[in-house]
Amino acid sequence: MTRAAATVGRIDWSVIGLVVLLGAVSVFNLHSTSIATGTTVYLRHLYWLLIGLVVMGAVAAINYRNLQRVAPFFYGVVVLLLALVLAVGKEVNGSRRWLDLGFVGFQPSELAKLAIILNLANWFQRVPRPAGYALRDLVPVALLLGVPMFLVLQEPDLGHTLMLMFIGISMLAYERFEKRALMTVLLLGLVSAVPLWKFVLRDYQKDRVLTLLDGKADVHGAGWHARQARVAVGSGGLIGKGHGDGTQVAGGFLPENHTDFVFAHLSEELGLLGAGLVLAIYLLLIVAALRSAAQARDKFGGHVAVGVGALIFWHVVMNIGMVLNLLPVTGVTLPLLSYGGTSVLTVMAAMGLLLNISLRRTVF
Amino acid sequence: MSDVYLDSSIVGYRARARRLGFVVFAAFGVLFLRLAQLQLVEGDALEAASSRNFVRTVKLPADRGTIYDRNGKVLAVNRPSFDLFVTPSQVKDLDALIDGLRAVLDLDELDLVHLRERIEEPRGMWRFRPFRIERDIDRKRVAVAEALRARVEGLSIRVRYQREYPEGIVGAHAVGYLGKPTAPELEADAEGRLSVDAMIGRFGLERRFESVLAGHDGFERYVVDARGARQDEGWAERAMSGIQSRQAPERGHDIVLTVDVEVQKILFEALANYESGAAVVVDPRDGTVRGIISKPSFDPNLWSGRLTPEAKRLIDESPYNPMLDKSVHAYFPGSVYKIVTALAALEEGVLDPDDPIDSPGSYEYGNRVFHCHKRSGHGSLDLNGAMAASADVYFYKLGEALGIDRLARYGRKFGFGARPGLGINGEAVGTVPTREHHDRVTKGGYQYGLALSTAIGQGDVRTSPLQMAMAYAALANGGSIFPARIVDRIQNEDGQVVSRYDSKPRSTLEASDEHIQAVSRALERAVNDAELATGHLAAVAGGRVAGKTGTAQVMEINRGRGRHDVKRFQNRDHAWFAGYAPYEAPKLVVVVFLEHGGSGGRDAAPVARRIIEAYHQRVEPVFSTSALNEPTRR
Repeated sequence: MTRAAATVGRIDWSVIGLVVLLGAVSVFNLHSTSIATGTTVYLRHLYWLLIGLVVMGAVAAINYRNLQRVAPFFYGVVVLLLALVLAVGKEVNGSRRWLDLGFVGFQPSELAKLAIILNLANWFQRVPRPAGYALRDLVPVALLLGVPMFLVLQEPDLGHTLMLMFIGISMLAYERFEKRALMTVLLLGLVSAVPLWKFVLRDYQKDRVLTLLDGKADVHGAGWHARQARVAVGSGGLIGKGHGDGTQVAGGFLPENHTDFVFAHLSEELGLLGAGLVLAIYLLLIVAALRSAAQARDKFGGHVAVGVGALIFWHVVMNIGMVLNLLPVTGVTLPLLSYGGTSVLTVMAAMGLLLNISLRRTVF
Repeated sequence: MSDVYLDSSIVGYRARARRLGFVVFAAFGVLFLRLAQLQLVEGDALEAASSRNFVRTVKLPADRGTIYDRNGKVLAVNRPSFDLFVTPSQVKDLDALIDGLRAVLDLDELDLVHLRERIEEPRGMWRFRPFRIERDIDRKRVAVAEALRARVEGLSIRVRYQREYPEGIVGAHAVGYLGKPTAPELEADAEGRLSVDAMIGRFGLERRFESVLAGHDGFERYVVDARGARQDEGWAERAMSGIQSRQAPERGHDIVLTVDVEVQKILFEALANYESGAAVVVDPRDGTVRGIISKPSFDPNLWSGRLTPEAKRLIDESPYNPMLDKSVHAYFPGSVYKIVTALAALEEGVLDPDDPIDSPGSYEYGNRVFHCHKRSGHGSLDLNGAMAASADVYFYKLGEALGIDRLARYGRKFGFGARPGLGINGEAVGTVPTREHHDRVTKGGYQYGLALSTAIGQGDVRTSPLQMAMAYAALANGGSIFPARIVDRIQNEDGQVVSRYDSKPRSTLEASDEHIQAVSRALERAVNDAELATGHLAAVAGGRVAGKTGTAQVMEINRGRGRHDVKRFQNRDHAWFAGYAPYEAPKLVVVVFLEHGGSGGRDAAPVARRIIEAYHQRVEPVFSTSALNEPTRR
């Protein structure tokens, strides 16, 4: 077997297949938005997906050892961009999340997720503790995680701040810890909840949490989005209202129906069958990531795979949890289904990482 | 390869990857269950919520039925009324619109500035809501507005029904008026039949027959988007499939009354000189009400949604209580009640009508002295004379012999103490006092002397003019008590009868013809006796009227402060006349009640005469002679 043939043989086609399937579902879904609004949003999304596939291939092709080497540099660039967005970012709805590159908007917090994944993995590789990590080992991890989180929170973007935190915690969960360290972290987390609520969260963010706890309050304010998403999902029933016939979308009752609330849109038109299929695709993708992690040939690869799985997992949980009125409203996108260039490219790059690692896995 | 680690720790990673996998499965399980809960369990409710989002339902109000008098004259009818609306979101050229409206509405510059603000002010969804700038504009203005609408955008004209009462204040109490439903009524309205801008029967027959007259509103449904703009194509068309888009309104039924507008006018004219009172004309042969009025009256056209606060205040503060329907409200009857005493005494065998009984100016009973209205007394009288002179002592003696409970029994036989059956305006039951009644309500309990007061219609007796009419009708028709009937039939738009109200006596006086005749004869004397008749001012030339006057004493209740004229009014006696004509074969019963009107003989009797004469001349001949065509003595 030639080396090339061996490489091709190791490609995780299931990941590619799932990504393409998800992409197809999303283009189909956004096509109905286009019918309703008379725009070509589905075509633009398709272009981003195609560009994304190229990015995925490129990321998969570079040996991840090289990626590991440039990870600290990448981290530095991301931190600079996050600082830059606070200074010159485009202000939308009272927050600065976007850098205007002229032809396209760009969200540095998306890149921050990849930077965290690569650099935490890098650190775990470089500082092995076979007996388990101690409390003092966590200080650099906290710093690595804390700096971008702090910057993203200033935009403010609570969703992405939490995203970074959850990805970090998930990657930590893939490691062993001394009992004392584990207890201390849990305790700290509990103790910090009160000052977090009081001093860090802004009023509108608290509103969203409160709205979730009391769904009937203020149906025109913070509860409006959540309420309309629930109506959209529920009115879809088992088989949905049909492509282009989602009244919540077509009538404009469901806000952000092609971005943050795209899952409500899909559930309304395709019903439990369509929404269940999408859930299954995500589940299989995450399972594929965990499998790659277990088969990775080093700690860096394993952690990157876990990080990618966590990225998909938390995006799905926070977004769909929000749409289903289980979690507060945060601007977290649904991977590949939500319209948005930066989001699509980030997820595709993450998928590229996954392919990269499975390509170079240990073969028994 | 050195970088491939095959040490023991890889086993740990595998276990942890599996553990993370469990967490992932669990989380997805929660998401899927929640999804299923919303889409399957709550699916129907949320689909309904979704429909509420995009389906706009517009009520198509039903045309309310018409109320006719017995001759087909319109008493209450719906007429289309045109209201002017502006939809801010549709206004393209505000200046042109405002300028054009100058020609349609009588607005000064300040009004125009306000109007401009009202159009510019709304934000968001409110911009898509039309709001009314003027209601009920006349035809000429409708034409101008239509022309303006063709030139500028944002203006619309909506048709609605306005209730109209062509006869105005004449007979307003019986017909009634419409009003908006109250908040409690809206809350209690489970079927959602009412709405804030609905007009429902508030008074009189409009209220009693609300369900008959109202009909059933229809609706029109269409799809709107989140901004409230109507959508008809594509998704909207498909979303409407399976949804009923239109339900035609069902017109209410018409009501034909037994009342005659001409009689109503006659009653109004006859009572012209009296502020407060009521008059009733009934056909004794079938108990149908031919005329029924209450004074002072009100204009139902104003009350049906166009009453100004100032006009309402005036009515609310009037000492004459215009909104009380006095024809069905109970008052002290005084001597018109003596028919009960007379018939009871005859039936119970305590009186021979021809026996003379001494009737002096006063009667001592126990430690009380009961006076006659004529302090000098009447001497010895038989029943005819006693009724004619309204000799109180004669009736005190009958009352003493009968006792209050026997009097009450006959009072009930005449229909007193029970609703006559019109079913409108809080129709009073009145009071027929018994021993038990006095034990319950009178200070010191029942005393036998109360039977004496009751015998002349004082004490605690209370009757309504309508009850009195039905009682006298029973004497006039030989003993049948009819339920008061004012609605002849209910019919649909095409004039087909939906239901007809029969005239069936509900009871009889259970008295012998001989005794009924004796009381009737006495009533004839009370009008026509040359010497004694207290009701002689009710007599007509060329015909015989039978009847009785009544002057009911009113307790002086009003010694305190207040307008002098109001106090004087309130301390005057009630004046009654109840009777029928012609005596030989009665065709109409007339009851005149003048609240604090003075004296039955002086005030009420001539009013009754005018009614009977006018009825004979303008409605149907009552008397066989043409004598009444001569100028009557007034």
